[in-house]
Amino acid sequence: MDWLEQELKRALERKEPAPGFAGRVSAAARRRPMPRWIAVAASVVVLSGAAAGYRWYEGLRAKRQVMTAIRLAGEKLNRVQTRVMEVRQ
Amino acid sequence: MKTVTRLLLGGVIATLLGAQQLQFNLDHLAPKASNVVDVQLSKDLLQFAANFLDGKDDPEEAQVKKLLSGITGIYVKSFQFKAEGVWSPADMDAIRKQLRTPQWARIVGVTSVGDGESAEVFVRSENQKMTGLAILVTQPKELTVVNIVGSVDLNSLSELGGHFGIPKVETPKK
Repeated sequence: MDWLEQELKRALERKEPAPGFAGRVSAAARRRPMPRWIAVAASVVVLSGAAAGYRWYEGLRAKRQVMTAIRLAGEKLNRVQTRVMEVRQ
Repeated sequence: MKTVTRLLLGGVIATLLGAQQLQFNLDHLAPKASNVVDVQLSKDLLQFAANFLDGKDDPEEAQVKKLLSGITGIYVKSFQFKAEGVWSPADMDAIRKQLRTPQWARIVGVTSVGDGESAEVFVRSENQKMTGLAILVTQPKELTVVNIVGSVDLNSLSELGGHFGIPKVETPKK
């Protein structure tokens, strides 16, 4: 028997599980899983929060754009008025 | 037959809306500009933004909110350049061409030979009601196009411009 066979034999030989292994497996199988409604509710809360946050961010962005546009338009209109007044004088 | 009618009606509506809203083809200037302002706000977005204009951040917000009541669209393109000669008159001609319709009227046009500034204000009206505003301002190193769709109080708009750094100009009462 060469070394390879010995290695294979050792790797594949039957090993007894640690003491209490069967008990732990049975206990895990008996344990009740988390109710599905809690997972669904948590997902809804997280998604709603994310959606509200995104909506808030988009609103502020739109507001900033409006203020920028109105400022620029007002500024240019005022500049035209200034020019007209200069010409009149 | 119904489909044809719908298509024709859609085309007419699109043409009317398109006439109010100018088409800017100035995107090629953006990479050459040192400062770009690009605002495109449709009716839905304006209504959405109006909900956030509560005056908490800026006392002028209430005034702007009031101004928005008659506006259905705001479109702004403004470019500032570090050097002269970046934009060409053809860029503005394409926009001016759209303003050569009976609905649009140029109410002010100022050209300054000294600093090369040119400013024009166009108003669109239908049935004696204002339905649009266009402001075209060019300087050797700047190009600005403002298109407001809907009805806007020019005095209020100008007042806001005065509040934002430029001194307010009193318009003579008729």
